[in-house]
Amino acid sequence: MKFYVYCLSDELADASVEGLSGVDGAAVRLLPVGGAASAVGVVAVLSEFGGERAAVTRENLLAHNRVNAHVLARVTPLPFRFGTLTDAARLSAYVAANETALGEGFARVRGCVEMGVKVRLDAGAKAGAKESGVKVEGAKVEEARAAGVGRGTAFLLAKRREIMGEEAFKARAEEAAARLAARVAGVARESEVRLSPEGPIVLRASHLVARADVAEYRERVRDSGAGFSGIHLLTSGPWPPYSFGVARD
Amino acid sequence: MANEALGILDEDEELSLLETLDHVLDRGLVIAGEVTIAVADIDLIYVGLHLLLGSVESVNRALGTRERRMELLSAGARRGGETRVVVETGEGLGDSTVEG
Repeated sequence: MKFYVYCLSDELADASVEGLSGVDGAAVRLLPVGGAASAVGVVAVLSEFGGERAAVTRENLLAHNRVNAHVLARVTPLPFRFGTLTDAARLSAYVAANETALGEGFARVRGCVEMGVKVRLDAGAKAGAKESGVKVEGAKVEEARAAGVGRGTAFLLAKRREIMGEEAFKARAEEAAARLAARVAGVARESEVRLSPEGPIVLRASHLVARADVAEYRERVRDSGAGFSGIHLLTSGPWPPYSFGVARD
Repeated sequence: MANEALGILDEDEELSLLETLDHVLDRGLVIAGEVTIAVADIDLIYVGLHLLLGSVESVNRALGTRERRMELLSAGARRGGETRVVVETGEGLGDSTVEG
């Protein structure tokens, strides 16, 4: 029998998923996968699956997320990636083979949720950065004209202005990242940050936050953008700890 | 939220779906060889386009649209130069908040 698996938990009780439907409307249930020798009573949250592959449809995505959010409302699970299909034997073998890592993973995320932040610098900020580059170089351009520079030199000067604008934008992205990191330092237990200075979304961060600290986390994230023109924050969560489970296979 | 008859999602739901995509498609536990994802139908094309052809641009566009809308709607409700928008999401989706 093939199963669609949503997450693993070492805290969930049998009755906690009663009446819950998952991918393709199938009933969600728990399957003990800890094994007799396991010190941890691990259960998998899963539903039967009849097909060969899980289609990336809106309904399936929402179903996957709905089940994991239902569990997250009770305990913090280790969520599986969307589209994980397996059978009971392989699932038990996976848990047995990764028992130590999973145990550490449960301990790592217990009592926490994942929060996300995206930082967007608007187009005006980028244009402004480029403009400032032009201004910085303006005097030199005039000097170059007065000195009678050729077309090649003028091109190089223009290119230099462009690069300076990009660097100014990158500096703003790094400044935004530093401000955010400083603000969440006390409430984010762990962070995973990806910078993309080419923008417009220059930073994507995931933070592991204790449930009791979520409100303060949101407040701090909002404050990190205060007085910083051209920056926009998109926060999301709480999510199951997709970014803070165990090391990827 | 969604216009089911036309198969159109409004920006809030689009954002939430994109956030969900960001989380569930490339993160989480993986059993080697056991992740199977099908590219199959209209929904996939609609959702997948955002993923495959640039979720960054999609989020950016949705954010821009919402920000312009909120500037019009909440000009009188601004407090200290801050606009806060709480996105109502369906069951199972994380809250999304845009601040700028």
